[in-house]
Amino acid sequence: MLTAEQNEELTQVAAGTPMGELLRRYWYPVAFTRELEEFPIKAARLLGEDFALFKTPRGRYGMLPQACPHRRASLAYGVVEADGLRCPYHGWLFGTDGTCLDQPAEREETNFRDRVRAVAGQVQELGGLIWAYIGPSPAPELPRFDVFVMDGVRDIGWTDLPCNFVQIMENAVDPHHTEWLHGRFFEFMARHQGFDAPASFGKKHVKVGFDAFEWGIIKRRVVEGASEEDDDWRIGHPLVFPYNMRVGGANIEQMQIRVPIDRTTTRFMLYTVHAPAGVEYPDQPQVPDYQIPVFDENGRHRVDYVEGQDMMAWVTQGPITDRTVEHLGRSDVGVTMLRRMFKEQMARVSRGEDPLGVYRDFRERIDLPCEKNKFDAGGSFAIQFIDRASSRFSPQADALKKLHIKAHENQKAAAG
Amino acid sequence: MTASPGAAAWNGALTRAGPDIHRGWFPLDAERHRRDAPQYCPGCAAALSLAEGGQGLVTEYWTGQDRVFVCYCGACDWSGDIVLAARVIGHEAEE
Repeated sequence: MLTAEQNEELTQVAAGTPMGELLRRYWYPVAFTRELEEFPIKAARLLGEDFALFKTPRGRYGMLPQACPHRRASLAYGVVEADGLRCPYHGWLFGTDGTCLDQPAEREETNFRDRVRAVAGQVQELGGLIWAYIGPSPAPELPRFDVFVMDGVRDIGWTDLPCNFVQIMENAVDPHHTEWLHGRFFEFMARHQGFDAPASFGKKHVKVGFDAFEWGIIKRRVVEGASEEDDDWRIGHPLVFPYNMRVGGANIEQMQIRVPIDRTTTRFMLYTVHAPAGVEYPDQPQVPDYQIPVFDENGRHRVDYVEGQDMMAWVTQGPITDRTVEHLGRSDVGVTMLRRMFKEQMARVSRGEDPLGVYRDFRERIDLPCEKNKFDAGGSFAIQFIDRASSRFSPQADALKKLHIKAHENQKAAAG
Repeated sequence: MTASPGAAAWNGALTRAGPDIHRGWFPLDAERHRRDAPQYCPGCAAALSLAEGGQGLVTEYWTGQDRVFVCYCGACDWSGDIVLAARVIGHEAEE
């Protein structure tokens, strides 16, 4: 359990708070690339602040606070021009760096525009996502994690959840929940609703372990019937500090992204790359994205798929879970480790240091440790995953299954 | 530190009703847990709790009869576990 003050500090996202200042040291995805190709401006909310995100006809991205510095009208309704974004109200024009370039109603001889500036975020595109940085300059490098740059077939499920992102991150260092929430509970729902639950998720955890490393925390597990020689322990998979988790298995590589939109709203994204060997990948001029369901038509949580179960557990903890009345056990040591890591990194920022995972030397690709043979389930995991996880809602779900089956057949044929 | 926290944590709390009744019985007991949490860093003696002006973090978890406080001190970076043990055991139990 935590004190009320500690819980308050841990769950803040606002500028000027220790946690808010820590979170402002990282890049976040704020839109899909295709969105600004379809229409060049959109409203974006990040860490409790509202922005206008835009792409100029020359292909430059910009992100400015939504309220125009002039009279506070929304720049998210602005006119995108070659040099930047023009306010729809009185035509003030701002460059992508926030410089005020034009104030049409003011006299030419005034230097008023030189005394006005919008505080601009920095924006980059990577892997079908638009990323923004709203912290102090100079901005660190945007991490080019393996899933965002690797070859394969991309697929992004997403939704917005009404809860604080920390309780979602705590789930990322809680291996035991898998055998219950995605095992026993899944079987219970399957029995009552008439579908097959994947057996591999219900395997009993014999041992769990956590190691801090340069990008966060590596989570390890030994499930019944497996050993420390198996991928789940030997390699594990990481919580990528402060808001991602890298998972994978059976040629499916995934980053689970949890963007703190504001204190009680989290954008949950499942950025998935299907990358089986021995098969050609189709061209993807745009990365497909689709919204995954949280609730059914009766307003109850949709719990007939893996992430639906996770979302039920996260959201039903409340908008900000009350950690003053929780009961942690020894199996929750990963949770205590993560909270300590948040606190350590807040302290680093307060001392003027870069926190964990902020780096300033460009790297073409950052490979993260991630098991291949998930839950000791072998190749069948890919089909189970598509059938009973968020990919089932993908417009390309059938094509993805065919891709994995075709790759499997090709590999068998090649092996003779 | 040889208190018997397991028993103390449960005594009386279930039968008392108070302003927290709609949140269940545990909040009545939470005050005791807050009181038992280490207040100062074993390394540099700085306050750990935010309420005392400290920059530390103390997270309590339970294992058997023991209560474990995972501590971090933001003043000196010391980190470690402080255990309120009900019993001192000579050999570690097989897990």
